[in-house]
Amino acid sequence: MYWIALLPSHEDERTAWGWRALQFTPRVAQVDEALLLEVSASLRLWGGRKRLLRRLLAECEPLAGAQWAQGATSFTALGLLRLKLRGEAAPARLPQDLPLEVLSAACEHVAILERTGCRTWGELRALPRAGVARRFGAGLLDALDGAYGERPERYPWLHLPEEFDLKFELASLATTAPELMWSAQRLLMHLQVWLQARHRGVLALELEWTLDLRRLNGVRLPSHERLVVRTAQPTQDIAHLRRLVGEHLSRSTLSAPANHLRLRSLETLPWGGADKSLLPEDNVKGERLHQLVERLSVRLGESNVLVPVAQADHRPERMQHWKIARLAHPSPLPKHAGPTAVDALYPPWLLPQPLPLEVKCEKPQYYGPLRLLAGPQRLETGWWDDGAQGPASRDYFIARSDEAGLLWVYRERLAARSGDEREAAPVRWFLQGIYA
Amino acid sequence: LSQLTHLRIVDPRLLPEVWRVEDLASQEAVLPTGQASLDAQLPGGGWPVGSMVELLQERCGPHVWQLLLPGLAQAIRKQAGPVVLVNAPFEPFGPSLAAQGLPGERLLCVKADKPAARLWAAEQVLRCADVAAVLAWLPQAKSAELRRLHMAAQQHDRLLFVFRGLNARHDASPARLRLLLEGVDQLELHILKRRGPPLESPLALPACSARVAALLEARKRRMTATPSDATAIALHRRSHVLDRTAALT
Repeated sequence: MYWIALLPSHEDERTAWGWRALQFTPRVAQVDEALLLEVSASLRLWGGRKRLLRRLLAECEPLAGAQWAQGATSFTALGLLRLKLRGEAAPARLPQDLPLEVLSAACEHVAILERTGCRTWGELRALPRAGVARRFGAGLLDALDGAYGERPERYPWLHLPEEFDLKFELASLATTAPELMWSAQRLLMHLQVWLQARHRGVLALELEWTLDLRRLNGVRLPSHERLVVRTAQPTQDIAHLRRLVGEHLSRSTLSAPANHLRLRSLETLPWGGADKSLLPEDNVKGERLHQLVERLSVRLGESNVLVPVAQADHRPERMQHWKIARLAHPSPLPKHAGPTAVDALYPPWLLPQPLPLEVKCEKPQYYGPLRLLAGPQRLETGWWDDGAQGPASRDYFIARSDEAGLLWVYRERLAARSGDEREAAPVRWFLQGIYA
Repeated sequence: LSQLTHLRIVDPRLLPEVWRVEDLASQEAVLPTGQASLDAQLPGGGWPVGSMVELLQERCGPHVWQLLLPGLAQAIRKQAGPVVLVNAPFEPFGPSLAAQGLPGERLLCVKADKPAARLWAAEQVLRCADVAAVLAWLPQAKSAELRRLHMAAQQHDRLLFVFRGLNARHDASPARLRLLLEGVDQLELHILKRRGPPLESPLALPACSARVAALLEARKRRMTATPSDATAIALHRRSHVLDRTAALT
């Protein structure tokens, strides 16, 4: 048997260290203040003790380090760890020279045993068993047998939870959402360890804070408030999640001070690992596009980060549709063969709404009178559309303004309107595009 | 006096020890602009990659695509990722841009109302690994803020174009290349700042795409054509079904 005893340097990282240790062996238990790992069964898998210890202890990002000790039984390993923490050197002969204070079962009897001149495990073992059992209880003997490897050591082994769900009490009441960030970071670090142990990437997670007040200013408050954070591709990269959570928190408000913070994983996917490449052009520093789009969408609002999607319509304002970039998936190239010859004659800038132009002396005006250079290009479509715009019946012209250059304007065709209005209503001109 | 007779004037270009500013500029990565006359004037022969290019204009909008599209079309062929427009004055029209080499699905538009948000967005976009080029309209940006953007572009080797108003003309700017765009029928390009000697007379470039120019030219010829030609054209046009109905009404 080969046991490792671990003591995380931060108390609150115990759970995370337990999950991390489960990657190396299924036999992990929390005993007293330490974590005990039995790794003899998986030593060959990890390439020997040295390599296993190096992987377990040295490459432990993002957790802080841990104190450790090893031994043939769990009691020896734990005793050695306690000695190490007290700054004492390990005795030459194990386990008989270990002092009694480092054996949990003997702790309460140390004073009596010392008065009888019994200081080490070996001396305690040399005492008659029946007398020890009568005086100190059978538990001490069982522990001693275990320490000498004469009894199987059984512990309630740790399990890795199926879903991540962890709740922290805040160090002090949080009155604004950004104050939750510090605890959220610790939770996210735990999430990363859990994801690494489960080999999964997270897609959606939920932060939930418990409100400290039941009612505020006479208004009943809910007991919890929630915040859901989503990302487009499964990730174990906590830096991105942290920035995303930070953006969300900086935009949300607490309706009352909060005292607990809970993080749950809503959606996870099996994680194939990060692609790494030796080619320099693949190793570009910086975040990925979907991460950028997500962060921009959170801070600026989803409707402000847009991508155009081509649509089959003849009305210029319907030829493309602006889609929210976070939801738009990079689609394969559209089916049609590509731009037609007519497309090259369209202006590169389009006004979001056609701008009605003033008409003076039967000439449309935009920074001075417009001179029509080319046209009309006739468009008569949308007769099926009962929407706000109705059918479109227009004559398009390329016009030139002395100040603004080439413009794309249209005239609403009179035939489109009813006969009575035809004489009364003046011709209406609109500016729709700008050649740039 | 005998020593002085040995002195003579030598063209500095012939001396290998003399470095000129244009030579320094040519060591940087550039992207050809797609217009030979412009390439000849820009140090290194194209848009500098990894450095801010500042474009000053009286009104936002005109000449932008005519000047930048050939370069952008090359940039997106070379590199994955979209061309990001931050705070564009109008909507880019996909079909037209696609016909000139920049398909609509390679565009990403970011709108931000506050100047600080625009700067933040522009900087974040520059720091992203999957962006081909950034076009930012930042009329209210200050010199120190632009320096930050310039540094981000430098760190990540991005193509960055910043558009500002004419009132910024006399302000200090971190940009290595400052251009002033004006003109209506022709794009007159003043190079205010570059590595190398200043350009005295503005560079004249076409103000509209080749196809539009050809269309307008054809129209002009038709207008000035002889009357017999004109009727022939009119008759030819009458044959179109839509035109006939229009004539009847």
